[in-house]
Amino acid sequence: MKKRWIVLAMTGVMGLSLLAGCGQAKENNTASKEKTGTDGVITINYPTFQCGVNTAAPVVAQLIEEFNNEYEGKYQIKLEEVPGDANYVDKIKVQLGTGDLPPVVYGGGYNLLDLALAKDLVVDLTDTVNEDAEWKELYSEASLTTNSRDGKIYASSVEGSVVGYFYNKELFAQAGIEAPAKTWDEFFEQCDKLKAAGITPLAMDTAESAWVTQLWMGAMVATSGDAGLEFMQTMNPSDYSMPEMIAAAEKVQKMLQEYTTLDAIGGKYENAANNFLSEQAAMIANGPWMIGDFSDESKTTADFADKVGSAIYPDGFVYDAPIQGYFVTKQDDPKLEEAAIEMVKFFTAAHAQQLGLEMQGMVPASEAVEITDEAKEKYPLLVDFMDQASEATVRSDNMQATMYSNLLDVISQELPRLYSGELDAQGFGDALSTAAAKNQ
Amino acid sequence: MKVLKANKMWIPVFLLPAVMLFLVIYAVPLGMVFGTSLFDYRLNAQEMTFIGFQNYARLLKDPDFFKALSNTVIWILIQCIVHVALGTVIALILYKKPKGWKFVRTAYMVPNIISNAAIAMIFLNIFNPQFGVINSFLKAIGLESLTHNWLMDGRTAFASVTMIWVLFAGYTTTLVLAQALSIDESVLEAAKVDGATPFQMDIYVVLPLLKKIIGTTMVMAATYMLQMFDLIYITTNGGPGKTTTNLPLLLYGVYKGENNYGYANTIGVVIVIIGVVVMTIINKVLRVNEEDY
Amino acid sequence: MKAKERILCVLKYIFLAFCVCIAIFPIVWVILSSFKTNAEILANGVSLPANFSLTGYKDALTISPILNYFGNSVIITACSTFCNVLFLAMAGYVFARCSFRGKNILYFILSLAMVIPMTALLHPVYSVIQKLGLYDTKTGLILVYTALNMPMSLLILRGSFLSIPKSLEEAAYMDGAGFVRTFFQIMIPCAKGGLTSAAVLAFLNSWNEFTFALVLTSGQSARTLPLSLSYFTAQFSFNYTALFAAVTIAVVPSIVVFAVFQEQVVSSLTSGSVKE
Repeated sequence: MKKRWIVLAMTGVMGLSLLAGCGQAKENNTASKEKTGTDGVITINYPTFQCGVNTAAPVVAQLIEEFNNEYEGKYQIKLEEVPGDANYVDKIKVQLGTGDLPPVVYGGGYNLLDLALAKDLVVDLTDTVNEDAEWKELYSEASLTTNSRDGKIYASSVEGSVVGYFYNKELFAQAGIEAPAKTWDEFFEQCDKLKAAGITPLAMDTAESAWVTQLWMGAMVATSGDAGLEFMQTMNPSDYSMPEMIAAAEKVQKMLQEYTTLDAIGGKYENAANNFLSEQAAMIANGPWMIGDFSDESKTTADFADKVGSAIYPDGFVYDAPIQGYFVTKQDDPKLEEAAIEMVKFFTAAHAQQLGLEMQGMVPASEAVEITDEAKEKYPLLVDFMDQASEATVRSDNMQATMYSNLLDVISQELPRLYSGELDAQGFGDALSTAAAKNQ
Repeated sequence: MKVLKANKMWIPVFLLPAVMLFLVIYAVPLGMVFGTSLFDYRLNAQEMTFIGFQNYARLLKDPDFFKALSNTVIWILIQCIVHVALGTVIALILYKKPKGWKFVRTAYMVPNIISNAAIAMIFLNIFNPQFGVINSFLKAIGLESLTHNWLMDGRTAFASVTMIWVLFAGYTTTLVLAQALSIDESVLEAAKVDGATPFQMDIYVVLPLLKKIIGTTMVMAATYMLQMFDLIYITTNGGPGKTTTNLPLLLYGVYKGENNYGYANTIGVVIVIIGVVVMTIINKVLRVNEEDY
Repeated sequence: MKAKERILCVLKYIFLAFCVCIAIFPIVWVILSSFKTNAEILANGVSLPANFSLTGYKDALTISPILNYFGNSVIITACSTFCNVLFLAMAGYVFARCSFRGKNILYFILSLAMVIPMTALLHPVYSVIQKLGLYDTKTGLILVYTALNMPMSLLILRGSFLSIPKSLEEAAYMDGAGFVRTFFQIMIPCAKGGLTSAAVLAFLNSWNEFTFALVLTSGQSARTLPLSLSYFTAQFSFNYTALFAAVTIAVVPSIVVFAVFQEQVVSSLTSGSVKE
């Protein structure tokens, strides 16, 4: 009767408190491990999205192993997998809000540095870097711009973003095109030739952040003159209604309407990639990380890699900028900060950059890092592209890396309207400017 | 007498767990949401500054807000009417246990068991203008002129997105069916004896008994639309323009893009208010809160 | 007469068949895709895979710790569903039967929980859970999931208790049973339909819940199944085969459980109901 119920209730309560107790105990364990381990080893908790199918995953895994071996007994990195780029960014933002960031953060292209700086949570690396000749050598002018604010160095880059486009040599030959275009007029002529031969010229996308499409747009703006180039080299620009941008938007409108596949509108990166890989489109603007896909038999045919050529954009333009690098966040324990700085140094040293190059064809951030013979053998296409890139006369970062983050959504929402004619180029530019203004 | 006293003692005990949960997970956070909507609270600012109702003023001047609002309300209406009706009709067919009814019951629930991310990807494929099922079918039967970019064409986007969830009324069917099956046999017998046709029986005898559960499913449908996010996010992300944006998507866009939490929470407050209004209306109309006996 | 009935009957079956088709299509598509290559998945919606290879499943198991997550999901979902139904049955019963001051207001406030958008709750709930020391624990997630399904369960359970005739309790009290005993031994068995519906909904919601699982966990000890899907797409690389293999691994067991569970429900519903 009542007794039975009381017994039930007590068991329930005990059970729940046991669970809670387990939770507490575990939490206490992890918490204490965070500060100093049982034997004085400092553990660096490192969440990252470079896991799973992410290109950099094996590189990061190997670097962690090497670091842990070298600093055994002193420091240890504990990897925490946060799969999905957006998930990592969200997580860091949440932790920014509560003020408990992990010791090392790598945004890899997502501008997390400015967010963390606004809350004054980033450790100033200027002195440490200046005192270390090897480390200092790796910083190019561009790298200093990306990674410093107000003359103080905050981050260290490991990967560079050098982007051109790839084309299908066979399809080009079918249309009677011999080499990639040197001017934009020639480029559009080539598109017409491809179309006449029944080949879709371009693989494009509009969803998510319209990566492929905005590469073309940015290239046109950068090569349209000094004002355009300056725009592309500015961080967080707010005026997208400038004439150069409007002109580029008009051309992109034409490209979407006439020179690409139907599913580009609303298509994600995967659709664009697949269109190129299945030879339905002749050209795709993208970076060298895609080279691995050309030999991936689950995505394309066995001999596809031989058909691919690389090129820089017309008017001698190539995207060339280091990706915003690793930074150290302020922690309660100064020893942990020290450990974190060592980790950042290790992960962006020449060796690390070379590892990325050899393992996955990732472009090093610093020009001081040599392209080894091993890399040349494994990724001939990459080497070929880097040679072309070195001949480029105009360089800048890509639009996605420099724009305000709320514009990414706006682009993916407004491009379909540009395509359908609901918006004209001016309207498109204005929509972007309005959205940028919201950040003021 | 003795019974009433015993009741009084147990009431708070029985209510305690639910109320505690509510306080910890809902009340406190909700308070924070309401509170912060009155502040200028952004990620990249050091401090939160009190700005009173400025966020709300901004909301009322924002054309995106009104578009999202109207989309949300329309979707609530469609879901409450079409979706619930579909589920109820199926339940009414199934409770009479035609051949294979158990299979249909389980099968119809399957789409609701699959994670929304997968469903969204499936429909992206179905609606794909290049090779999707729908366009391929239209081409095959010679109606190529009707092919569209279903999800990205301003004219068809809204309807296409709605198709993704309106047809999968598994929850409604399960709930209504469970209730219908537990109707006492004798009531149905009595009606048959009185000469009612199956159709009349459904409309005049069974349906009234199901009114409460249908009201419940309507509330569920409305709140589902008020929370609907991932299916739209993965397929159209609110586009083209703001044609398929609803309030949760708007909230998320502000949250992620502008990092403006104060303004995002303002939208959250509006969502809560709409939800309260809708719930009250449905409850009143169907008199869900009254007792059967 | 007869002809009309027959036509209606046929139409009815055609309608049901149609419903089954649209319901089965997604899961069939998913399972087929788990055997196709990436190129095949992105190229054509409804083709059959060229080879039925298990690479997708192998990849899914190696790329993500999916079995580990599966185990966590089972524990977390089972616990939260049980707690949820128990607590809300108790509360639902009180709301249905007893009267006390402020009952309607309290009920209204509790059901408010249903309309609060999850995105807005994310931040605050994260702070609360952290302060309670439950971050990255199964208990933390169980607590949150029990609460997330609260409004729905409350609605269903209160409704189902309302529809049981009072005569049953009156009979029980006549026999000298106390409040608690009446509840556990008489009301709960009678409300099986509602209890099961609430349990099924709570189960499915917890099983597929993604957002809170992401924010409230960091290590592998408490991560749930939906999080494994993020392993298969990154900004510039994708493995759809493994993704759909993972979806299949996540879905097939829950369909089986659901089908079996439904059997129990029906048998209990149509036997021993209320006899006036």
